[in-house]
Amino acid sequence: MSSEHHDDAGQGRSAKRLIFAAGGGLALVAIGALMLEAGWVPGWISGRAPAPDVAESAYFQPPSEAEIPDGPFGEAVKRGRDIFMNTSTNAGDYVGNGLTCANCHLDGGRQPMSAPMWAAYGRYPMYRAKNDQINTMEDRVMGCFTFSMNAQHSVAGGPPPHGSDIYRDLESYFYWLATGAPTNVLMEGSGFGKVAKTELGYSPERGEQVFAANCAVCHGPDGQGQTDANGRIVFPPLWGPNSYNWGAGMARIDTAAAFVKNNMPLSQPGKLTDQEAWDVAAYIDSHERPKDARQGEMTVEQTRQRFHDGDETYYGQQVNGALLGVGTPGPERPVGAPELPIGPTPLE
Amino acid sequence: MTRINKQKPGKIVKPGEDFEPWESHNPVPLPVIWIAVALGIWGTALLLQEQDSKVVAQAEREAGEAAAHDAAEGGAALFLANCSTCHQPNGAGVRLAVPPLQDSEFAKAGPGVVAQILLRGIDGPIRVKGFTYDGHMPSFAEALDDAEVAQLASYVGARFGGGETVLAPAEVAQLRMTHSGSGSWQGGAELASLVADLPPQPPMPATAEAGLDPAISDLIFAGKGDVWSCASCHGGLGQGAENTPRLAGLSQGYITKQLHDFRQGERHNEHMSFVAKGLDDAEIDGLAAYYAGLRVDSTAQPALGGDLARGEQIALQGDWGLGVPACFSCHGPSGFGVGAEFPALAAQQPAYVASQLAAWAGGHRNNSPLGLMDRISEALPEADRRAVSDYLASLPAVPAPEPQAMARIEGGEDEL
Repeated sequence: MSSEHHDDAGQGRSAKRLIFAAGGGLALVAIGALMLEAGWVPGWISGRAPAPDVAESAYFQPPSEAEIPDGPFGEAVKRGRDIFMNTSTNAGDYVGNGLTCANCHLDGGRQPMSAPMWAAYGRYPMYRAKNDQINTMEDRVMGCFTFSMNAQHSVAGGPPPHGSDIYRDLESYFYWLATGAPTNVLMEGSGFGKVAKTELGYSPERGEQVFAANCAVCHGPDGQGQTDANGRIVFPPLWGPNSYNWGAGMARIDTAAAFVKNNMPLSQPGKLTDQEAWDVAAYIDSHERPKDARQGEMTVEQTRQRFHDGDETYYGQQVNGALLGVGTPGPERPVGAPELPIGPTPLE
Repeated sequence: MTRINKQKPGKIVKPGEDFEPWESHNPVPLPVIWIAVALGIWGTALLLQEQDSKVVAQAEREAGEAAAHDAAEGGAALFLANCSTCHQPNGAGVRLAVPPLQDSEFAKAGPGVVAQILLRGIDGPIRVKGFTYDGHMPSFAEALDDAEVAQLASYVGARFGGGETVLAPAEVAQLRMTHSGSGSWQGGAELASLVADLPPQPPMPATAEAGLDPAISDLIFAGKGDVWSCASCHGGLGQGAENTPRLAGLSQGYITKQLHDFRQGERHNEHMSFVAKGLDDAEIDGLAAYYAGLRVDSTAQPALGGDLARGEQIALQGDWGLGVPACFSCHGPSGFGVGAEFPALAAQQPAYVASQLAAWAGGHRNNSPLGLMDRISEALPEADRRAVSDYLASLPAVPAPEPQAMARIEGGEDEL
């Protein structure tokens, strides 16, 4: 009898325990799920990638490639994109080096702090002290060809003429990237950002160390970049005859420092300290490169006074006993000019 | 739960002869049951979710494939997938590096010529539309079947050469037989035999008749002392398998660096550390030179269930929201590798690639310059790592510049 009574009591207890057990288990699951959703669980437990900073940030999001519309406008956008990504082929007559737009405007002109085109598009027409006039987007891109793409050494000897389809297509691409962006507003993430000046100032000697430790693996110890098996440029040259000329924005140390600080090394932006960014920019821009396309008949000193006065640049200065700004020797034939036919030369 | 009679500290009580250990009926503590129940529920939920996402992923993939098929049928789709990373979507090529297809003498020669180039690849200088290119094009013989080669060659011939000839799969099968085992076309000079009225082509540079050092050959095929041969794991032609990487076409600098890292403990792998410690510098250099010059068709295939479209996106464009630039922005625009630090990725074994990405993410591999791959692998979710590994496995192998005398290794072929 007593054992039966004991069993009854035991059953009552185990039923209660069952309810407590199930209830407690459910509660644990609920708490766990809530914590996971709230993001309180560290990534190494949850296996979830940390939410990307960029997506959370206030940066404008341009449309994706898949959203390029059909029809003539979409075709122009695609042509513009092709020029942007492969400039030396698709606008080859006007490119006197091996660079493309996308070398500095990363991710096809989408990356914030890498002079994204969605932020630039709505800023023009704009007054620029650089040429003391109102610049349309076409004028601005013409400047890119003239200086960054070193058009003076190209087949055409200069940038695409006003009204060229190259500008139409590029502007179509920019306009489409800026879908939904405001006009005449300085947007978050525009340009390359700024790097505060440091107490130490900048020094090419210190920059040389920074370059060897952080940049040489991609751009080469001599800064001349690297190519793949087919000779296609993978890492662009940073100075010398195949890089941007002295008139380019990137030849100014403050501009280069900002680009480096916010974009380099690729996949690790912000890795370098402000001091390192200034120093390495100074090192890069203390090497000779093609002459300023505006120099014409002027001397380097006259060009410096007219176009570079007050800039953070080594243009027109003596560095390591040599005057910078005289330019690298021009190519024998324009860059990209057709080769001579193969075979015996016809008798004269 | 067994317990012995509690004893007061300090007071020693000897158990009597009739002492019996007894067990009290102590229930399992509730918190333990809570955790067990919670784990049970969580496991079930995960199982269901997994199944669900597999079904969804499958459906998405099928929908994606169908859409891709509708959007650009046949030749156009094949062109975008196989040709456009080098020759560009518009067929303009890349100045001074990749020949254009648009109006090229070879596209104008018709789909038969195009198919023969696709089947064998090119290894040597070639002149197209007045420019000389250092031609290194992979063979697509393994990547594409007869019908695909026929479709693609017809498309290229029509779109870029303006012809109307349509090649039949049976004709491709015939060409495949004819060219089987012929190796790559030796530049424009050899292609001149196919194309009438071709402008003069540059001569092939004289290749050094550097035979394979018998000592190196022994290391590769027979091993040395206690150390087993390279070929026993990496395959007779360095093609790799599963977790063992493909070596054929990796740059000499990269292989050298990795072997040194294994030897010095900078890179960790039990087998490779043992092997590398048995190699001297000259042997490492010889092995690296041999594998760097091997032009071998891909044996890799997508095998991890990765989303190929997502993998392609990561390889070609990156996911900058995750802080991940395109793989190809450093490893070369076709994944053929750059210098000693950025190895070729095309046709690498997917299980190997995924395992390396996981090793970087978990801190088990740390010989990447500047920690570049550590950071990138951490940022990529597991599904993305599988996706990109599978996509890279779908690419044709690196068109390694093949030193002629070294290419034909006796005993290598039959082990493939």
